[in-house]
Amino acid sequence: MTDLGELNRGTPPGAADPVKALLHRHRDLCERAVDPLEIAAGLEAHGITDRIAARFRHRDVFSLAEELYARVPRAGETPQPAPTEPPPGTGTDRTALILLPVLPGALCAATVIALRQTHGQTGLYAAVAGVLAVTLALRAALRRGPLSSLGPTRSRTATASRTCWLIGYALLGNGLLGTAITGGPDGLPNGTAEGDWPLTVAPVLALALSCAPAAWTVRLFTVHARRRLRSSRGLEDLAASVRPVLLGTFALYLTALATLLTASSALLDEPSAHAETLTLGALLFLARLLTVHGFTHAPKVILTLTVAAQATALATVFAARLPGCAPVDAPVETLTAWDPAALPALTCGAAALTLLIHASRTLTRASAHIPPEQPR
Amino acid sequence: MLTEGGYPYVDGEGWLWCDRLVRGLGHHEFDVYAFSSSEAQEQAGWVPLPPQVGRVRTAPLWGAWGDGVVYGRRARRRFSEHYGELAAVLCAATDPLAPDSRPARPGTPRVSAEADRFATALHGLAELARDEGGLQSALRSETAVRALERACRAPGALRTTREARVPDLLAVAAHLERALRPLSLDWYEEDGLGAVDVCHAAAGGVTALPGLLAHHFSGVPLLVTEYGVRLRTYYLTRPDSPPAVRALLAAFHGRLAAEIYRRAAFITPGNTHARRWQERCGADRAKLRTVYPGMDAAPFAEVGEAPESADPHTLVWVGHVQPAKDLVSLLHAFAEIRKEEPKTRLRIIGGPCGPEGAAYLGHCRALAAQLFPDEAESPHSVGDNPVSFEELGGPELPTPADAYGRGAVTVSSSVVEGFPVGLVEAMFCGRATVSTDVGAVVEAIGGTGLVVPPRNPRALAEACVSLLRDPERRARLGAAARARALELFTADQSIAAFHGIYLEIVARTPVHRLLLDATGDPLPFATPAEAHVPGHWTDRTSRVLPGWAMDAPVPATETAR
Repeated sequence: MTDLGELNRGTPPGAADPVKALLHRHRDLCERAVDPLEIAAGLEAHGITDRIAARFRHRDVFSLAEELYARVPRAGETPQPAPTEPPPGTGTDRTALILLPVLPGALCAATVIALRQTHGQTGLYAAVAGVLAVTLALRAALRRGPLSSLGPTRSRTATASRTCWLIGYALLGNGLLGTAITGGPDGLPNGTAEGDWPLTVAPVLALALSCAPAAWTVRLFTVHARRRLRSSRGLEDLAASVRPVLLGTFALYLTALATLLTASSALLDEPSAHAETLTLGALLFLARLLTVHGFTHAPKVILTLTVAAQATALATVFAARLPGCAPVDAPVETLTAWDPAALPALTCGAAALTLLIHASRTLTRASAHIPPEQPR
Repeated sequence: MLTEGGYPYVDGEGWLWCDRLVRGLGHHEFDVYAFSSSEAQEQAGWVPLPPQVGRVRTAPLWGAWGDGVVYGRRARRRFSEHYGELAAVLCAATDPLAPDSRPARPGTPRVSAEADRFATALHGLAELARDEGGLQSALRSETAVRALERACRAPGALRTTREARVPDLLAVAAHLERALRPLSLDWYEEDGLGAVDVCHAAAGGVTALPGLLAHHFSGVPLLVTEYGVRLRTYYLTRPDSPPAVRALLAAFHGRLAAEIYRRAAFITPGNTHARRWQERCGADRAKLRTVYPGMDAAPFAEVGEAPESADPHTLVWVGHVQPAKDLVSLLHAFAEIRKEEPKTRLRIIGGPCGPEGAAYLGHCRALAAQLFPDEAESPHSVGDNPVSFEELGGPELPTPADAYGRGAVTVSSSVVEGFPVGLVEAMFCGRATVSTDVGAVVEAIGGTGLVVPPRNPRALAEACVSLLRDPERRARLGAAARARALELFTADQSIAAFHGIYLEIVARTPVHRLLLDATGDPLPFATPAEAHVPGHWTDRTSRVLPGWAMDAPVPATETAR
């Protein structure tokens, strides 16, 4: 074997402090290291073996690393700069962010226009096609982009069925309730805002259009929360700084929804149903926000309760027609007499308020913002 | 047998030796418990398993888990107690692996209070997972993050951890969640790991964690084989995290390694380098048995027996091209060699490893073209570069044996190396080697090749030239290398070693099980009390005496002096 001492003339053997040169060469490694073993691993990766350590008058790399660890100054340790933000996204990300959330609203508007233009059989076809298209677009928007969740599929389908009911109620429910109290319905809805069982299309159109602001505000919340996460020192700090962001996001969405609702009501010549639509929108938005951050349990329970309340209210009206059960629908009738939209507004409002309180407790926690694991 | 990202999967690393071991020990029954490391690996499928493998159970260590169990108040308190304890140990300002100043006496394991707390917390979490389930969700929950924060801010914590910010805490919590996944597996029942005689972990760290728990729950002895020490790999793979994260996770992995080494019946490092790390991490020397990874010598026999088949002017480099192999230094060394021996050629054989390796290969090709112009034998023939880049598996070089056989000298210029498989193959082929002094190279080569410092092209060149000029020395070294490899590194050697260790473990620490009768009730007096006495209790001569009774009497003159 060749003599190593002769071959490697990197460090003169007679130097007074050979470790100092080594320290200088590996200063970066030594300053970053959290314990001597890390230095030892790094030194070995740089090709320093026990034999070379012996030239520094050490038994092995470990004791050499210990000396380096002890000698490196670490008093003026500066905190690492916060990691740079990930780039805003590649092409497909941007499509998911901008294009997909607009799609349900656009398709819904197209469907409404088509319904206005057509009558009879063609109108039915247009309605079916429109509902199908809007559903698919909504599905796509919820699968990708800021509204997508990483949760298990089974709770996703459960929440979807409840959401369908709520939207269906916004479309048909008030009409049904109104006509049921006066003794109807005498037939299926004819697809217009007049008649025996009127449709209220404006809220649904506004909700569909509000997919886009919802996606953008959710994205805004995520980005801001991550930023707060990076800059905060403690968990209490974080909670205090994320709460205003959450409330601000929520308010922003509600403002956008109100604007859209006013516009669509004006376009469709329908009375604007602000209370019920805003509460329903708030409920759906909060449920989605919680689901996106991995809290699927609470939205599921709250949505189920809301659906149950609305279904019970409808059922009591029909049950009151049975002989001897007339007083059953008294509360619903009183409510509806006071304001036709009171029932959905109250149920959705209570649910939204509950979810808002829940969200302001859970979404301000640090564990809600663990970045998703990179797929390997 | 426990593996991670390894054995039954087709593209698992290190499956070859597991396969060889399982096939080699046909009279033992094996159950394989494997962790898969990625989705792609799981989809790639398994290698064909021999009949002695009874069953295979796998669990992923990737992706999101969650069984949706939400703890009640009591379970949550239990969890927060144990997790807080764990976090407090990790943040404690004592070096988990500091070598004890007192020399450890065999038989009296030195256990610091911290190590004991760590073990207790770990077992507490495992028992909680066994009783209640749902540990995964809890490990990701706010309770866990809060416990971590409390521990980091507690008095007496490390200074680096005191600076931990919220993202650091989250990163640590997420990493711990992934590392502690084995705790919530259902492998520790009586029909699972509880029923085996020996638990052989094919790697340390998280892979050996189920073995640790099986030891805790059912007293199954644990054997840990490590070819690369997990703790060291961990240090090298996370250089960019903030200091607090690195400090906490290093403490976790250090303590886990120490705990595994403490509980293991035997530890078999694959080379002296790994052995030194294990000793440093607190492994008892009495438990360490170095078992070199065995290789099948048969494919190299033909080349190894015919040393004259080599081209006397060719150097060969074989391996996966990546920056750690330092081919640039090899090319510079080759330029020096060409000055001395102009007829020499260099063949670099092997494909790139990953995208980084591909870029590096391109860089090396460019450098080779720059350093050495194409040259031809006569003015009328087509020229050729003295450095050629080739890949294994083509019609020219179907097997590694052919690759080594082409050259007179095999060169290795790595700056980082674990166990140098390529060099050992070259030794099987009876080729003289020139290599850099990294990792376990010296240990594998012994005195049968030339070793130079890493990153020293001139030394590499000098060594190569001296071998190229001296065919007799080359042949002598080559023969010695083949003899050494056949003695130390054959597959039979390692299989025999493991067989012996298995038997020793079973003999030393038999698992005591209750024998049951037909109705499932325990049979009283099924094993006589004498069965627990070590040795033959019927034989008077080999009775085990206490240590003090065996000591030679101290001569009176000694004490009087």
